[in-house]
Amino acid sequence: MNILLKSAKIIDQNSEELHLKTRDILIKKGTIAKIAAKIEPEGKTRVIKHKNLHVSIGWFDSSVAFGEPGYEERETIANGLHTAALSGFTDIVLNPSTHPAPDSSSSIVFLKNAAADQLTSLHPLGTLTVDAEGVDLAELYDMKNAGAVGFFDFKKPMTNPNLLKIALQYVQNFEGLVYSFPMDSRIAGKGIVNEGEVSTKLGLKGIPVLAEELQVARDLFILEYTGGKLHIPTISTAKSVKLIAEAKKKGLDVSCSVAVHNLSFTDDCLEGFDSAYKTLPPLRAKTDAKALIKGLKDGVVDFVASDHSPMNIEEKRVEFDNASYGSIGLESAFGGLNTLLDTETTIGLLTKGRERYGLESPVLKEGEKACLTLFDPEVNYIFEEGHISSTSKNSMYMGSQLKGKVYGTINKGLFVTEEA
Amino acid sequence: MAELSVKHLLGIKYLNEKDIHLIFETADHFKEVINRSIKKVPSLRDITIANIFFENSTRTKLSFELAEKRLSADVINFSAGQSSVKKGETLIDTVNNILSMKVDMVVMRHPNPGAGIFLSKHVNASIVNAGDGAHEHPTQALLDSYSIREKLGDVAGKKVVIVGDILHSRVALSNIFALKLQGAEVKVCGPKTLLPKHIESLGVSVETDLRKALEWCDVANMLRIQNERLDISYFPTTREYTQQFGVNKKMLDSLDKEIVIMHPGPINRGVEITSDVADSKQSIILNQVENGVAVRMAVIYLLASKIK
Repeated sequence: MNILLKSAKIIDQNSEELHLKTRDILIKKGTIAKIAAKIEPEGKTRVIKHKNLHVSIGWFDSSVAFGEPGYEERETIANGLHTAALSGFTDIVLNPSTHPAPDSSSSIVFLKNAAADQLTSLHPLGTLTVDAEGVDLAELYDMKNAGAVGFFDFKKPMTNPNLLKIALQYVQNFEGLVYSFPMDSRIAGKGIVNEGEVSTKLGLKGIPVLAEELQVARDLFILEYTGGKLHIPTISTAKSVKLIAEAKKKGLDVSCSVAVHNLSFTDDCLEGFDSAYKTLPPLRAKTDAKALIKGLKDGVVDFVASDHSPMNIEEKRVEFDNASYGSIGLESAFGGLNTLLDTETTIGLLTKGRERYGLESPVLKEGEKACLTLFDPEVNYIFEEGHISSTSKNSMYMGSQLKGKVYGTINKGLFVTEEA
Repeated sequence: MAELSVKHLLGIKYLNEKDIHLIFETADHFKEVINRSIKKVPSLRDITIANIFFENSTRTKLSFELAEKRLSADVINFSAGQSSVKKGETLIDTVNNILSMKVDMVVMRHPNPGAGIFLSKHVNASIVNAGDGAHEHPTQALLDSYSIREKLGDVAGKKVVIVGDILHSRVALSNIFALKLQGAEVKVCGPKTLLPKHIESLGVSVETDLRKALEWCDVANMLRIQNERLDISYFPTTREYTQQFGVNKKMLDSLDKEIVIMHPGPINRGVEITSDVADSKQSIILNQVENGVAVRMAVIYLLASKIK
């Protein structure tokens, strides 16, 4: 099937020629055949015509969790990837949140195979240690050869600094990317939300910003000693941004990300004890959210992530203390970000990050493979359950006013859209 | 008739000053009732109340039960030890099962902050929070303020210091909200490890010198060190805690005024206060207990009148 995009405004800061130009784009057999001011459909062609149609290269999300295998009730790989495609993402990095934890090449192969025929490409992370127990290194080299793009004991802080030292040294000869979750578990103690005025008022145990910053500082110290590639996922405090900026200035090979919801929301949302807002790292103060946004604009924070964490209702509709952490984020990622930032910045962020994982970035050019996201950045709406295609509905954005919607994605010769 | 602005009593945070005055005026009436020879009124003959306690309690449970019985309500008691909670039932299911037996009001103690608020969004009954984790214990704060009002005439303008483990204390938090709402000045005093880092954002000041705190205050509310809630050691020994934050008679007598001593109970005699302080005429600890019944009667009566 051929696809013809009519009057699509191109957002591509890498292309001086096409950026902000409105063009017709013809896709034949999965390849961008022609980009021109006006193209007439010929033969069997699906014509996509939308008011305010915008197009960019396909988006990338560095932090997505599903559930399969082990927690299929939260999300399956098939429906998760379909949701990612509907949400504009053509590449996602899958968090090792499954059971059993993916700590061997066979698990990585399973994940890759389960995703093979989907529009959105799945790039799995393996765990850093056997069974993610934080004790012995898993077979990192073998997993890397099977397709693992990084190593992460999912959201489990590394309590043993020597483990991080060894890991960063071990992966250097095969360019492995080591993750360290930014939280000192002993300082965090039994904390579950940001320590601040709100936690004090609500009697909820707080996670001090110190818990994150101490771990970030420690990890950067270790990195300076060992060398290697370190990724600090989903930072949440102003001082973390500062620490990482200083490390980058020193030339350390460190990257970090931030979850979109840590930009959109603050711990004020917790007043009603609604477990939808329970997430790790926790929602912080306004000053933190502001510093994170500035860090993104300055390039200190390398990329945004939806930090998509589906949880079924049984894990969320309980007392706040007992609720699981996490919010789904794929469906609201674009709207959430585009509500806070201008569209060019938003698209710049959503298309950034692949290089960190050794993945090729798509190019919007005649003759290249068509890997595209179609969207309208102007449409305003209230985010509600109807916008969710995930199996789990635990969205922090429920009821939020968002700006910007995805029409669909094109990749690997496939086209996914909500419309029939 | 005047009525409360709320359907549930989930925390002092959710009340306004008028609500507190209404509760106190109603409690004045019930205090007179419970000192009669027939200590009972027929007000709530058509109301059934479930006392659901997911956490151990002796005095609060007794006080509520007595308050309910003095109002002639039908009362059922349920504690987590003998319940299906241990079989994996959710809080909503447990409470809905009880409500299916036509219960009008739930008095709940629960170890998790916000449990009452969570429940109020999911079940159809009036809810009284009898303590939710380190969040609130509103009836305790009401009876504390009521006792101050009784002893000193008014709460507005009074200086109250809360001494002890503020970090794990729902009593402290509810008291802070209640006292501030009525125009009192509040200080907290204790080792820094047991004071929340952001406590001043609630409009209270911090004093780590007990003597200075006592010199400043009209009322000292001495909290118990809740050893069962301390996951790590926040101070080296109880002995050393007492040396710094325990009130003894000698210290009280050396002040140039007579301050009021309060304690929510149970007292660890010789730890936060010595026996001679607990039993002194400055102590209103037993008045607090008596007032607890009257205040809880008032709360239940006022909430029940909103059901009808």
